[in-house]
This record gives sequence, structure tokens and C-alpha cells, in this order.
Amino acid sequence: MTVTDVDGAHEVITSVQSGRTRVIAVIMIVLGLFTLLTFGLGASSHAHSAMSFAPVNSTNAPWSLGNLTVLTRWTNMVLGLIVLGVGIEVFVRQPRRGVMARFGGVSILFMFALLFWAVRTDGPSQVSTFNLTALLIGSSAATMVLVFGSLSGVMCERAGVVNIAIEGQFIGGAFAGSVVASVTNNYFSFYYAALVGAVVGGLIGLLLAFLALRYLSDQIIVGVVIVTMLGSLSSYLNLQVLTPFPNFNLGNLAPPLPIPLLHKIPILGPVFFNQSGFFYLMIALVALVSFALFKTKYGLHVRAVGEHPQAAATVGINVVRVRYINVVLGGAIAGVGGVAFMASQGQFQVGYTSGLGYIALAAMIFGRWRPSGAVVASIIFGVSVYLSYTLQQFNVPVSLYILQMFPYLITIAVVAGLIGRVRPPAADGIPYRHD
Amino acid sequence: MRLELRGITKRFGSFTANDQISITVEPGQIHSLLGENGAGKSTLMNVLFGLLHPDEGEILIDGEPTTFTNSGEAVRRGIGMVHQHFMLVPVFSVAENVVLGFEPTKSWNRVDYKKATEDIRRVSREFNLEVDPDAIVENLPIGLQQRVEILKALSHDAELLILDEPTAVLTPQEIDALMAIMRSLADAGKSILFITHKLKEVKAIADVITIIRQGKVVGTAQPSDSEATLASMMVGRNVELTVEKSPYAPGDEVFEVRDLVVRDDRGLIAVNNVSFEVRAGEILALAGVQGNGQTELVEAIAGMRSVESGTITLHGKDITRASPRETLDAGLGHIPEDRQRDGLVMSMSVADNLVLNTPRRAPFASRGTRNIGAINENAFRLVKEFDIRTTSIHSPVSSLSGGNQQKVIVARELSRQLDFLVASQPTRGLDVGSIEYVHRQMVQHRNDGHGALVVSSELDEVFALGDRIAVMFEGRISGIVEPTATREEIGLLMTGMATVSR
Repeated sequence: MTVTDVDGAHEVITSVQSGRTRVIAVIMIVLGLFTLLTFGLGASSHAHSAMSFAPVNSTNAPWSLGNLTVLTRWTNMVLGLIVLGVGIEVFVRQPRRGVMARFGGVSILFMFALLFWAVRTDGPSQVSTFNLTALLIGSSAATMVLVFGSLSGVMCERAGVVNIAIEGQFIGGAFAGSVVASVTNNYFSFYYAALVGAVVGGLIGLLLAFLALRYLSDQIIVGVVIVTMLGSLSSYLNLQVLTPFPNFNLGNLAPPLPIPLLHKIPILGPVFFNQSGFFYLMIALVALVSFALFKTKYGLHVRAVGEHPQAAATVGINVVRVRYINVVLGGAIAGVGGVAFMASQGQFQVGYTSGLGYIALAAMIFGRWRPSGAVVASIIFGVSVYLSYTLQQFNVPVSLYILQMFPYLITIAVVAGLIGRVRPPAADGIPYRHD
Repeated sequence: MRLELRGITKRFGSFTANDQISITVEPGQIHSLLGENGAGKSTLMNVLFGLLHPDEGEILIDGEPTTFTNSGEAVRRGIGMVHQHFMLVPVFSVAENVVLGFEPTKSWNRVDYKKATEDIRRVSREFNLEVDPDAIVENLPIGLQQRVEILKALSHDAELLILDEPTAVLTPQEIDALMAIMRSLADAGKSILFITHKLKEVKAIADVITIIRQGKVVGTAQPSDSEATLASMMVGRNVELTVEKSPYAPGDEVFEVRDLVVRDDRGLIAVNNVSFEVRAGEILALAGVQGNGQTELVEAIAGMRSVESGTITLHGKDITRASPRETLDAGLGHIPEDRQRDGLVMSMSVADNLVLNTPRRAPFASRGTRNIGAINENAFRLVKEFDIRTTSIHSPVSSLSGGNQQKVIVARELSRQLDFLVASQPTRGLDVGSIEYVHRQMVQHRNDGHGALVVSSELDEVFALGDRIAVMFEGRISGIVEPTATREEIGLLMTGMATVSR
């Protein structure tokens, strides 16, 4: 690649970026209008909505917050106008920074408007409420798995290997984790499960790395093949092992490990400080990967290998070894993610990761190949995954199956680069040949 | 550092890229390695830099035999290389690029950027190479990026610097700056190995010249030797550095551009109200510093970029909005600027590339079926006629040297009945022999009474070919002058300091 090529690409990106700002602005304007007209004017003038905060399962919460009751129509019209206003502001001013932050805020407002609308009750008597704490706890499970997956993606793609096999590593981790946790079935069983899940995920990563680095195969195709293979393998083993021997698939959930005092904080306590060990591990991993990639010598080598492997090679960095290490570590992280998913969902079932691995990749792209960005994106996706399953219990006149498409629609928009995409590592997905 | 290469031989299969090459570089000396593309210069440098292992021969550093298994070891032994395509990570800062692989670290494996920045500033000061350590490399102009490469080698304590075709991507001013840097490094006791095929630069800077041809050292020369002597040693025969042209006898107007406006990829106006015409039997040379709209102008003419306003006329036929196929069918030949991207399909054979612009036409195809016989016959004829060096007409074009790839394009375009030829940077990256060849072909085409537009940022080429010289600056034609104009006059037009009205 000549340097002039890079310049050209840079120019193209600048022009594409201003186009994308407009696209995001239009999306926000549409969301605003939709909120205003459907969630606001669509609700009858005397409908009320209520939001509660008490955790469902916490028996010893030393606090209680009352319900928040609002007039659906007027609240949502205000929310809609705010969203519309932000959209118009972005469209007219085209700010260079903070567009994604605005988009995040708008998404949250939109979610509240949607929920207010969904739980509205005509007439004075309150029937249904939505529980914000329960919503956040419920979403945290999906979010956690997505964070593991997108961290795995960050590890691999920063070194220049596309890990589309995350879904397969989830499946492998979940299967192995379920068996190990069931067989050991004691206080430490989930520690063993996590360990074995990491090994299984790492081995799948090793397979991907071997085919991609040794034989320079197309990484996307190899990844998809691995996912398909693991899907079938898990079906087979499920039928041959788990079905006849249910003791291998007990479906125990990982117990919450409440953190003293902190878990008693209203709302935040149950969401952040009364989680299973996987949740805390996830937070530690985000910090660790961030630190390793952007502060250490190792991280500098990884990023150099992902951006310009020849340049890395000329200063004596072993490109292939760095890639092997990262793909295996990334696989291990995704494997633990699979165990975490199993530990929050129960018994292993065929196909129950339902494409979360791909959504995790979208979260990684949305998060601009950064661990912190991946967390923010995973929250957005995690909440939307959770909502798509829970909205049906409310007053929503849309089929469950249509709602369940929602996270995937966002995924398509992200992967197509409509929103939030920036430059991937320059050598991402390109096999490295050393001459 | 005193570097000695003794009898280096490197073979790839049956092909011997380096045959018993012996060179000695003394400390404080600028040693120039002169040779055509494909002569084996790059192979030799890769051997020296630890990227390839020689089959025979040895490398001696300060008299001590040394072997490198990778380039990291070569760097640690004090060999620094400035690659033709910079080995810099574009999104990294200068500091990150310079320390890569040699990072000073603090606790927890953290990179000590404070120390790195200080080291860089120290080396910058010592060798007078000003660069901001915090700047992002891709935002720097090419000349400064190259300076970062040199700085990188020096901060790894390089005693021998290898510069591989360092001037190929630089503007004349940047070349002057580089020459000054090279001289001051040599004065500071560094050894420099300067690889090039440009005779003027060798004469300007080298202390010793070694010439290699077809993998062998063919001799050494002094910088005082004439360009013609150097060229003939390099190519192995006498080379005409200027091409004989028949007297200028322009005929009817064949090609006209009127009030043309074209936008670039960013949507900005790149070609601003450009008008000119070309007559039969005339070459109009378009000079200018790269990036002043020449690329967009040529793309618009070739149908590869949409036109905002204005007209393009070929033989009275309006081709303003024609597709590339329609412009080709209208009798326009195009030698594109980026030959590997726009001119060839690199993985396809020489024979297929030679019919790339007429694949569906008789005799190469009929009723939707390719006529392999006619395609091969065409390929045999053109390979012979245009002296394309290839092992077979079925070899992929990617296996050819840059000069021969360009010959494939020239052969394809000029072998068909053309009304008008547009050639953009037709000799960029080519060696003397190939340049001479391409020039001769284009002049022959003009002598046969055809018109041509040649876009070039090399002034030598502009003067060698142009019957009239147009200069482009910031999207406009700043002037059209006779070839008797001086370099200074054209230089002023190129920087917009003067305009010539017609």
C-alpha cells in the first residue's frame, strides 16, 4: 500500500462521515416523530403510566422507592420533542464530536417513551407498571454475554484476524460449561466451568488461527464454518449425551455474590453489586484488555500487527505469533462468555445463543474496536434483546416475533456502516504472507 | 560501520536474483547501488536486512561474519532501512512508530512514552530532523513521513542506513531536503547505501557507485561519469536519453475539452473550468504538481468520473457522459495513472490483459464465446513487437516487473486503431530502459499523425514529449506554453505564481 492510497482513503472517509452524521440525524428525527405521534398522541389523554424501582428478588433491600406515575401522552410528547430537537440540531449543525453520545441519549429517551406507552393504563386505577430495576437486571445478562463476545472480537481484530466464530465459541463454552458445572456440582463448580469454557473457546480460536494463519484461508468463511460445525456438534452431543444423562445438564444458575454494603444502594446495588462472579470478571476483563491494548508494549505490538503487519515485521515483531496469541486469548474470552450465558440461562439447549455472537461482533464495530465502546454498544444491544422478550407482557400490539427481529435490525444497520462505524484496523481480515 | 558483502547469491527456483554480488560500504560514505527495476537490488537489500537468507556468500560487519534470521536482528546490529513504501503505521503517532519493537517500558509492561518522546527529541536535535513526536503519521506530508522513517532507524542506533528508492515519492523540494540530510548523516560517520535508478540523483550525492544488472555487479563508476555512461552500464546498451521527434506538423483538431468542471471524491471542485484542444500529430503535455486536478481530469475524460458541467469532444463526437466502454469504442486509448488498479487485472494472464479493452469484439470473441486462438495469436505478436519480457503469455501479469506491466498496457492501447491517446504518469516507477521505450512508442504514435494528452509530474518527461505544455494548478490551467519555455517559467506556473493568458 502506498502512502497516497492512505491519503485517498482518508478523504473518502471524511466525506462518508458527514453523510453518516446526516443518516444518524435522520434516524433521530424519525424516532422523535414516531415518539411524538405514536407514543404521545397515540395514548389517550387520561392514560397514566407507572414505573417502579423495587428489586424483584432482593429480600433484604433496606430501602424502598415509591412508584413514579406520569401522564403518558404529555410525558411522551415532551420526550418526543426532545428527541426531535436533538435530531434537528445534529442535522443542521453536523457537529464533529458527540454525535454518538447524543444518539445514545436519544436511544434511552426513546426506550423510556416506549415503556411508558407499553404500560399505559386508561382510567384512574393503576394496573401495570414497569420495573426499571428488573429491566436493568434482566438486560445485564444479555449485556454481559455481549461484552465477553465483543471483547473477544476486539482482541482478535486489533491483531488483524476477524473472529466471526464467536458464536461457535459461545456454543462450545456453554456446552462444556454446563457439563462441568453439572458434574462437579459444588460451590466451586462455576469456577471449573469457566476454566474449561476458556480452554474450549481457546481451542476453537486455535483452530481458526491455524487455518487463517497457517493456510491463509479466508477468515470469514473459516469462522462461519466453525460456527456451523459447532452448532451441529452440539446438537449431536446434546442428543447423545445430555438427553440420556440429564445429570450432565442440571441447569444450575451461578449464585449471586453480593458485595457488602454496595449491593444495598437503591437501583444500582441490585444491578451492579449483586451479580454472579461472571459479571465482576467481565468488568475486570474490560479494564484489563483496555489497559493491555492501549498502555502496554504488548498492546502496541498487537495494534501494529493489526494495522501494518509488514511494518511490525521489519522491527522484529513476530506477526504470526502475535496473531496466534490474540486469537487464542480472544477465543478463551468468548468461551467464558458462553459459560456466563449458560450460568444465567440454565440448561444447555441447542441453538440457545441465537446469534448473540454475531450481535457481539456488531457491538464491537459499533464500539469502534475499543473495549469501552464495546461496553456501551453491548448495553444498547443487551437492553434491546431483553426488551424484545419482555415487551410482550405489556400492552404492545406487535407480534413477539417482530419484536425479536429488532436487535438484528440494529445489527444490520451497524454492520452495513449506517451508524457508528469508523475505520477498522487496516489489516483486519487480510492474511499475512511474509516474503 | 564498515559493511562488506562477499559473493552473495540468492536463487528463487531456477531464477538467480543475485549472482556473486560483492560490495563494500565504508563509514561516512554514500554508496549508491544503481540498477534497473528487476536487476536484483531489492533482493540484495532484503538479504542484507535479514528478510531473505542468501544461498551463498557472507555478510561482514566491521570484518566480522554475521547472519540475520530476521530483520529485528539486523536492526539490533545497527542496520536501518528506509523502505520505498514506508514501514510506518499510519494511525500511530510519530513516537509510537519510532519506538515500535524497541519500547522503553515502565512497570506492568507499560510503554514509557515520556522517555520515548525525550529520546526522539534528542535524536531529532542531534541530526537536525525536526518532527513533532505527537503528530499522527498519516496527517504528515510524504516528505515528513520519510523523515520519520530515517528518525526511526537512527533512534535504533543505526550505523548503516539503506535507502530504497527514497526519492520516488518526493517532490523536487523534498528531494533536495533529503539529499542534505543524507550528506549530513554521512558527515556524522554513518554509512549510507542509496538504492536508485535515477541518474541525476546518483551524480548529485554518491561517493561511490556500484552498478548491477541482471543480478550481477557489472562495475563501479564515479559520480563524475556522464549520465550516458551510467545509463549504458545500467541497461547494457546505449540508451537515448532524449527521443527523436519528427518536426511538429499539427493537423486538424481531434480532441477538445470545453469549460470542464469535475468534482473529487470529497465533492469538492477538482477541475475548474478547464478548456484545451489537441490536434492530430501533437502531444499536449500536462504538467503540474500532483493533486492539482490532473487525476480527476483524466478520469473524467476516460469516462471513469462523472462530469459536473462542460463538454468533452472526440472527433466531433460528444463523449462527456460516455461510459468507459463507450469512450474506448469511440477511439480513445487510456494509459491510467495507477496501472495495477485501473490498467490490469493482476491475476489474469498476459494474453487476457492484452485484450482487456476489446474482449467482446471480433476477432477475440464471437457470439458470446471467446476465441482463444485469436487471443493467443494477438498475445504472441504483441509480446514480440513490444518486447514484453515474460516467461509465457499465460503467466499472470502480476509476475511481470513494473516496466513490463506498463508495456502490456502500452501494447494493448497502441495496437488498436486509436484516434486519441490519454496517458497519465506513463513512466512513473519505471527504469531508464523502459522509460525510453514508452517514450519512443508514444512519439511514434504522434509521428503517425495521432493526438495525445500526456499527464506527468516529471518535468523531464514533459519536455521530452510535449509539443505544447499546459500547466495545471489548483484545478485550473494556469498556462499553455511552447516547449522552448524554461524550467523556471513552468515552475512558476506550477505554483500559481504566474499565469499566462492566451
